[in-house]
Amino acid sequence: MIRLALASLANRKASAWLTILAIAVSTLLLLGVERVRTQTQENFANTISGTDLIVGARTGSTQLLLSSVFHIGAMNNSLSWQSYEYLQQLPGVAWHIPMALGDSFSSYPVVGTTSAFFEYFQYGNRKALQLSQGDIFHDDDTDAAVLGAEVARRLNLNIGDELTIAHGSGGISFSDHDTHPFIVRGILAPTATPADQALYIPLAGLGLVHGEIVEDEQAHDHDHDHAHEQPVYTLSAVLLGLSNKPLALRLQRQINTYEGEPLTAIMPGLALTELWRTLNLFEKALFAVSALVVATGLLGMLTTLLASLRERRREMAVLRSIGAGPFTIFGLLVSEAFLLAVAGIALGISILFLILGFGADWLLINTGMLLRATPLTAVEWIFAGAVLGAAILLSFIPAWRAYRNALADGLTIRL
Amino acid sequence: MRGTCIELKQLEFRWPGATRPLLQIPELIITRGEHVLLRGASGSGKSTLLSLIAGIHQAATNQVFVLGQDLGKLSQRQRDKLRANEIGYIFQQFNLLPYLSAWQNVVLAQQFSPARRERLREHSESHKYLAKQLLQHLGLNADELERPAHQLSVGQQQRVAAARALFGNPALIIADEPTSALDADHRDNFIEILFDACKKHGTTLLFVTHDGSLAHHFDRAIELAEINTANEEAI
Repeated sequence: MIRLALASLANRKASAWLTILAIAVSTLLLLGVERVRTQTQENFANTISGTDLIVGARTGSTQLLLSSVFHIGAMNNSLSWQSYEYLQQLPGVAWHIPMALGDSFSSYPVVGTTSAFFEYFQYGNRKALQLSQGDIFHDDDTDAAVLGAEVARRLNLNIGDELTIAHGSGGISFSDHDTHPFIVRGILAPTATPADQALYIPLAGLGLVHGEIVEDEQAHDHDHDHAHEQPVYTLSAVLLGLSNKPLALRLQRQINTYEGEPLTAIMPGLALTELWRTLNLFEKALFAVSALVVATGLLGMLTTLLASLRERRREMAVLRSIGAGPFTIFGLLVSEAFLLAVAGIALGISILFLILGFGADWLLINTGMLLRATPLTAVEWIFAGAVLGAAILLSFIPAWRAYRNALADGLTIRL
Repeated sequence: MRGTCIELKQLEFRWPGATRPLLQIPELIITRGEHVLLRGASGSGKSTLLSLIAGIHQAATNQVFVLGQDLGKLSQRQRDKLRANEIGYIFQQFNLLPYLSAWQNVVLAQQFSPARRERLREHSESHKYLAKQLLQHLGLNADELERPAHQLSVGQQQRVAAARALFGNPALIIADEPTSALDADHRDNFIEILFDACKKHGTTLLFVTHDGSLAHHFDRAIELAEINTANEEAI
């Protein structure tokens, strides 16, 4: 029967191909959106790991997360150097990364930090930052910068290039700190996280351009103990790593109730989940759109099958005359829908993998989206199966009509 | 071994909702191997009678027997099976699936019929070979065998239809005005070919037409109006 369905479809090549294409495109969209959704969520959750607490001035947890990890939005409040010193000496704090934000270079955010950032910051599954070229800066450097991978590539910057950072986050600023240029010392390897989209300079350098310390003072005394020095007055956020993870909850409460200054401590994992939940709506909208496209594709198939029935009554009568029962006619139409759907889904999946295979690099470079051509997940198989199931279910409509026609027409041939 | 092929006994058939019966036939017997012409004007109930004999529509019990089976007692599925196995049906025209080649159309006859397959098994050759052989016997050349059905002339198409009806030796061939789309030359030629093939295998032929001039070819010619008493009563 499948052979007969195939031959019959081959006879209606044009409409069959169009139907297959419609199903392929809808499958592609459905699976593509699902893949973007899950992998984006995965990448999203991978932006930071290993950090137990993020501390900033009193603010909302989402805002603190966005500004410190994603470099989105400006922090209105800052925390004082004294608070940073307080945080460092809290029991159980294994490492700390200060971050001073607010400056930019060609609209990429500039992060003032210490060498601890390169040592302790982790993303993905506990992956540390890697350099692709050059070297990191030291805490007493004042004119060295390390670039995120995307910054270096987009702005075409190399080791040794000079750059002048601007105050504020806009592309054009009237207060360029051009009296104090920085020299590119290192370029980070790509991480597919917001870390690629920032420039990193030492706090001492940042303080210098802001006029918070004087250059001479910094330069002459190299064996000075920098831990007690104050290169900048204020910080935007501090990332803390704890020696003992369960301590985070208690420490969070302690920081939130710190009396020296109103502070907020958040746990990045929780805050990320919370933030992702607010993006849920987009996710649902995307899914709804792709589901509707699938429905459109399947309705197209239904239309072509129904339209073909009229011209095929003759075919049905011939089949009846050689002994095909009405159920065979029913089965013939369901097989046709099955073949169309399977071909469409297979084509859709092939196109998806072609795109993922050849376009993944382009996507990563141009959108920062990390999509991998990994085998279909269980959920994706279920989606593909659902499309097939829906196609077969829908085909019951033309199949039922053909069945009725076959019974009513019998051996009379209507044209 | 000559038994009855078709037997009608007190057949009365009306369409659901119709007040008067369309067919009322007290008796009709067609023996095996007989070549019978059934003549009737259009609208006289010819097609309905054929669909009852072919088992498309169901008659009441004890009224229609084909090869000894009471079609009124068989289920839809059993009637389909009987038709697939023992009845070759030739339409007026458009007999073929246009997207299959001539020989593929012929081979199709055994698709739903285990009995035809069984009979074909007596020959050692493949279905494809046998179908081509039969078609060539009916006057198609090697090139025409491979052509898709819609590229054949009407006369050639009717021969392919005859070949499909005959393929696997069913007991009965029902031909519903198979020559009405053919001109006189092709018509006589087609009837000759059909007769030859039926004679060779002892196949019963029920040939339905409105054209009485063909009667001289047949063992027997039946006038539907004469055996059908339904209209007489109505008048």
